[in-house]
Amino acid sequence: MSDSAAVEFDHVFKAFGNRKVLDNVSFKVNAGEALCILGRSGTGKSVTLKLMIGLLKPDSGKVFIDSEDIAHSSEEDLSRVRRHMGFLFQSAALFDSFTLGDNLALPLRRLDKGKSPAEIERAVDEALERVGLNLDKAKMPAALSGGMRKRAGLARALVLHPRLLLVDEPSSGLDRITASEIDELLLKVKQEYGATLVIVTHDVRGARRVADHIAVLDQGCLIGFGTATELEKSDHEIVRRLVTES
Amino acid sequence: MKNFFTFIGEVSHFGLKGLVDTFRPPFEWEFFMIQIEEIGWQSLPLILAAGLALGIVLSMHTRGTLVQFGAEAMIPTLQSASFFNELGPLVTGLLVAGRVGAGIGAGIANMRVTEQIDAIEALSVDAFKMLVVTRIVACILILPMLTLFMDFASLAGGFLSEYLVSHISLQLYLDRAFKTVEWANFIPPTLKTSVFGFIIGTVSGFFGYTTDQGSEGVQRAATNSVVLSSLLIILADVVLVKAIFFLFPRNAL
Repeated sequence: MSDSAAVEFDHVFKAFGNRKVLDNVSFKVNAGEALCILGRSGTGKSVTLKLMIGLLKPDSGKVFIDSEDIAHSSEEDLSRVRRHMGFLFQSAALFDSFTLGDNLALPLRRLDKGKSPAEIERAVDEALERVGLNLDKAKMPAALSGGMRKRAGLARALVLHPRLLLVDEPSSGLDRITASEIDELLLKVKQEYGATLVIVTHDVRGARRVADHIAVLDQGCLIGFGTATELEKSDHEIVRRLVTES
Repeated sequence: MKNFFTFIGEVSHFGLKGLVDTFRPPFEWEFFMIQIEEIGWQSLPLILAAGLALGIVLSMHTRGTLVQFGAEAMIPTLQSASFFNELGPLVTGLLVAGRVGAGIGAGIANMRVTEQIDAIEALSVDAFKMLVVTRIVACILILPMLTLFMDFASLAGGFLSEYLVSHISLQLYLDRAFKTVEWANFIPPTLKTSVFGFIIGTVSGFFGYTTDQGSEGVQRAATNSVVLSSLLIILADVVLVKAIFFLFPRNAL
């Protein structure tokens, strides 16, 4: 395990029944860097993210977050590690029976128990302001557009000031302009807060803009890892096609 | 056949885990109170309306028969005996299975499909306790209370029906209704609905929580929750009535 790595996969295998989803995958992401994971649908990209936050356990191999192997850690240890992680789900996964404000307050109430109600209120307002939704705090998720939901999901992921932000398909279902706004927000998170980002995406343009490194998965195998420029020269045709298509 | 027994085992394990987790801290009071409001308070209009209507209908039916034997004075007694012993608990169970079971099944399944359950677990919150245990416990506690409302709404309906025909006084109607009612044939049938509540919470929670088939899974979870809950309530009622007769033999007379 490298000291500077915020995330490291060490020979990770994962299968669902007979279907192999990740096959001996190893890579690392240094603290403060952004990694974008590209690949065709069903190649294990979202599973990779869920392994990073401990929602799934690998069949074998190790997943290190800040030097801690979360694949073999207790619930208490996992909970402590998650305190420093944020997750933006593909569908934003806002709790639809809560207002936007309550969606953001929940992580603070659960994971930051030292905060008073007034401090929670202030933290929620700040997080919403950051993504430009400060006027929508009382709205229910159903009343938000797709782009607003993504931004709200990002605000919830950021409300605990995570050191590691995991993002699943930030631009899916969004028009080019809104997707670009989300990319801007992610860049801001990386540059201003120094957070490590791992982003699963199909949007090559966004990936090239945000990522320091790009990983390419195909049929559960890591077939490319490097900068966009390095991957353009890859011997693997799928890697070249994925990285250069716009 | 193997799948059937596997399924029974999974549902039973799910329900038992729900019961055990009820006593394991932390307690999800906030979410429990939300369920009390959604399952109890919001079911009340349906229960009251159904009780009133059934009370009127039963009174109308029994009057036609009892009048032939000059026994119309027995109408309030028959009304209370029917509802307190059987109709009130069973109809309440079936109505709640329809309204709440579908809601729980579809609601939790929708949360699964839209990754809300993953989002809860990503916060290191026990989603099973937050979403399933709170609903099971709320169902267990609320069903007997709703049954009381059903029983008394049916008496009100019965009185209304009788009053319009015979102008019987409320005092006399209640005297006759409660003349033969004892705690033993009122409390056990009412409390047996806690078992119905456990069935509704467990079955619908199971279908919702374990769905993995997208929007089609949400629809299937809602349907299966209602169908299986209703069937199990009717089957459990047979066993529970027999158990009540065994424990309180006077009820069987």
